[in-house]
Amino acid sequence: MGRLTLISRLAARDLRHRPVQAVLLLLAITAATVTLTLGLALNGVTSGPYLSTKAVTNGPDVTASVWPSAGEQPERPPSRDGLTALETASGAVAHSGPYPVASATLRARGHTVPVQAEGRDEALAAVDQPLVTEGTWVRPGGVVLERTFAQALGLTVGGRVSLNGQSFHVTGLAVTAAVPEYPGVCFFLSCNAYNGQAQASDMGMVWLTQAAARSLGTSATPLGYVLNLELSHPADAAVFVNTHSLAGPSSQSSAMTTWQQIQNADNDLVSVAQQVLTPGGWLAVALAIASVAVLAGGRMTEQTRRVGLLKAAGGTPALVAAVLLAEHVLLALVAAGAGLGIGWLTAPLLSSAGAGLLGAPGAPALTAGTAGLVVAVALGVTLAATLVPAVRAARTSTVSALADSARPPRRRALLIAVSALLPVPLLIGLRLIARRPRRALLGAASTAVTVTGIVAVLAAHHAYDLVAGRFDWFAGLSDPVSGRVSQVMAVLTVVLLTLAAVNTVIAGWATALEARQPSALARALGGTPRQVSVGLAAAQVLPALPGALAGIPLGIALFAVANSGGVVSVPPASWLAAVVAGTLAAVAALTALPATLGARRPAALILRSEVA
Amino acid sequence: MQQEVVLAMLAKEPTHGYELRARLKQALGPVGEELNAGQIYVTLTRLEKAGLVTARPTAGVQERPDRKVYELTAAGQQRVAEWLAEVSWPRPDLTEFHLKLIAAAAARLGDPLAIVDAQRRELLRRLRDAQRAAMAESATSDAALLLEGIVLRLQADLRWLEACERTWTTRRSQS
Amino acid sequence: MTALLSACGLCKEYGKGDALVRAVDDIDLDVAVGETVAIMGPSGCGKSTLLHLLGGLDRPTRGEIELAGSRVDQLGERALARLRRDAVGFVFQAFHLMDELTAAENVELPALLAGRSPRAARRRALELLDRTGLADRARFLPSALSGGQRQRVAIARALANDPAIVLADEPTGNLDSAATLDVLRLFDDLHRAGQTLVIVTHDSRIAATADRLISMRDGEFTDETRLTGGTAGSLGKLAGLEG
Repeated sequence: MGRLTLISRLAARDLRHRPVQAVLLLLAITAATVTLTLGLALNGVTSGPYLSTKAVTNGPDVTASVWPSAGEQPERPPSRDGLTALETASGAVAHSGPYPVASATLRARGHTVPVQAEGRDEALAAVDQPLVTEGTWVRPGGVVLERTFAQALGLTVGGRVSLNGQSFHVTGLAVTAAVPEYPGVCFFLSCNAYNGQAQASDMGMVWLTQAAARSLGTSATPLGYVLNLELSHPADAAVFVNTHSLAGPSSQSSAMTTWQQIQNADNDLVSVAQQVLTPGGWLAVALAIASVAVLAGGRMTEQTRRVGLLKAAGGTPALVAAVLLAEHVLLALVAAGAGLGIGWLTAPLLSSAGAGLLGAPGAPALTAGTAGLVVAVALGVTLAATLVPAVRAARTSTVSALADSARPPRRRALLIAVSALLPVPLLIGLRLIARRPRRALLGAASTAVTVTGIVAVLAAHHAYDLVAGRFDWFAGLSDPVSGRVSQVMAVLTVVLLTLAAVNTVIAGWATALEARQPSALARALGGTPRQVSVGLAAAQVLPALPGALAGIPLGIALFAVANSGGVVSVPPASWLAAVVAGTLAAVAALTALPATLGARRPAALILRSEVA
Repeated sequence: MQQEVVLAMLAKEPTHGYELRARLKQALGPVGEELNAGQIYVTLTRLEKAGLVTARPTAGVQERPDRKVYELTAAGQQRVAEWLAEVSWPRPDLTEFHLKLIAAAAARLGDPLAIVDAQRRELLRRLRDAQRAAMAESATSDAALLLEGIVLRLQADLRWLEACERTWTTRRSQS
Repeated sequence: MTALLSACGLCKEYGKGDALVRAVDDIDLDVAVGETVAIMGPSGCGKSTLLHLLGGLDRPTRGEIELAGSRVDQLGERALARLRRDAVGFVFQAFHLMDELTAAENVELPALLAGRSPRAARRRALELLDRTGLADRARFLPSALSGGQRQRVAIARALANDPAIVLADEPTGNLDSAATLDVLRLFDDLHRAGQTLVIVTHDSRIAATADRLISMRDGEFTDETRLTGGTAGSLGKLAGLEG
């Protein structure tokens, strides 16, 4: 028991003695745990809201639609016979419809958008009665908008819209489980679209009275029909679709969709976020390990004398290692807790499964499994970074520990010879790198990880740009999907950049500390303060360059893998050049501060052998 | 010239007078430059009288001291053996200077600090000369070792003089 | 003869109020070209601080320092660095050699910092090592050299850029008697070659070989001596050879 008290007292005192370092460590590990928590928590988060929406609205297990084929002048409007036959098919227990669906142009607030206008009764339907969340259901002269679509347009109850030239006012906003929320309404190519228009364009979803919907149909753009079915065995919806068909003349198209397909389409929004966050989380973890390694490793060497005292007083190597690790383990646990808390609080922002579904998935399952994994990762990061230095420190012989002899730098003849040929700041920088090459490698690795993350994000942006360009999305409206994706990637980028910045500051400060004696000596021998501070910065920037360059192919590869073998997107060269240049500039700027501060102190204070 | 030293130099074999002088000169280097031949022979005569040494003139040459051959007697050899085993050390004579300062202060004959200063300057000069002689010697000669001893002794004396200066300065400021 | 180094009213204070410490208190010092000046004093008397001030490694609280025509106390950091590079050679008590560089690489460092070509710097370094008697140790690391050899490498380094003045802080403080002799020989050679030296020491052996010997206590100069004239007695008398 006494040993435990001793360990905790020593750990607490040391943390209090160097609060800045402790805070930096905490920051590094917390950033990693937050990202990881977010990624894990977003796992399959919309299944809840979709199901609750389906339950409340009595959503269909299968929807069947017919509509006039695009590009053909219809001889006659599509027939409803196929749909009617399905009403009595085996396995179907209830139905609503067939409802008329008109293809119309909606104009409001300066936007022009194609929409599916479905005609409904004012009375409640047996299957798929969309739930009105604001306002009221359809009535003459009024239109109800799907909630996500309304948000994209910026419309609220009471606003006015025009459909095919007729004016309506918005009576309500509703959610449904019968179609994926905007902009995925036509995801399954089951929409009644303009003549000649590609089906995949973003169409909105609105409901009108049956009479109003029929009035929107013209000979040029006839009506389609949609039927909602409830099955006796909802789980077998796919089987039902396979065994029944809606084949008709070539002048009409038809499609059947199962509820599972709609659920998956709705999931896409969040799964994109998760796809990005989980690999991003591991990147953040890698960066955190680097930061902790530098910070903790530096602290270990400072603690050599403390180790010597403990051992001289009778501490076993195990006890000494325990003391050294205790404070870091403590920080790791605090960081894990903070990461879990912050992640849990912010996950709803990212996973709010769009406005088109009910239920806040705001408690993305913070299962014991997730919490356990995050804690394990935090501890793992810490131990990975601190175990080796702690063991080494604990194994030092007592005498040399008391004498506080730091490990002298090994000689790197090639680097020393090459540096003599370079201008003075690079000479200093290269020789500083030669003193601690492992630190330089770590710096290069951290830069590589950061650039990998940023390039992956850029590749994702570029891929979306390509796709968007091909399909002429957006029609001037804000696209919730890419909006959400941008949001997520922005979060990830911010986290990575913060971690990278923390990392660089830590490494720069550790380098400046370690380089105190050689840089003071350089100044005593005639190096100007500017030469010395540029040299210190160069010691950081030079290893960062190969790291940044390596991050480019790695980032492209990461996106390709995360995109599950989709488009291999290579961002434009100008973006990549900007990333590399920006990273190097940031590294230089972040290390300039500790470097300059170090170069200002009078050399005499550092080199003083006796106070005389 | 200390008697035992001369005895010891004769211990190896009977030696001519001039040889003895040569050996001493070599062992002492610059320190032995002013070594007076007469001193050695006076000592040898005393030793002869004390029965520790016998002198034989070389045949057919005038009776000059440097031509005589000197040899240890049995008593002389015993004396040498005893001397080698002795561990007495030359007595440092600081008492004289110490009393000099006290007397000067008590009788107001002079300023103790000025006396210390003057002595210090003198010792520094000697140190300079000894140091220069030491630098001129090769590192392995016998004389180099002797000179190092002289230098270190002077250093020690100088340190004591610094202590004297500190003490007498304090005394003066107290009075 | 105009002085190479001239300090006037030099002061260095630390702390404030009750805790004020005057490490250097109103010091005047002139050093002519080619002179060897030794400053002696006990530990804590401020002699190392004085040397750091003279060499531009630290800034005085008050006072003027003129070295090789420039006012050291008025120079900015960059100009001070250039001054240290071109006009001052500093020898530290703790040597301060880089452990991972060979003797030759250590000695050529000031020349490289001054922007000379690597070849010229290396040539000068080998020349200096030869002069200090370490030509065969040029490729050795400091860990393979004895204390005296390391200090001689440090002295060679101080000479790399042919400085106007060499400032040495307790150069034999960490050395044994034999190594001290080596360093003394080196300083003697330099003196004879016309190098101006200011040596701070509490070793009377070095002090005895200087042209001027200044005693320092509590930040002030207390005494100045020129050791002219012969000794009162011969070496023989010193050694205890009675007449």
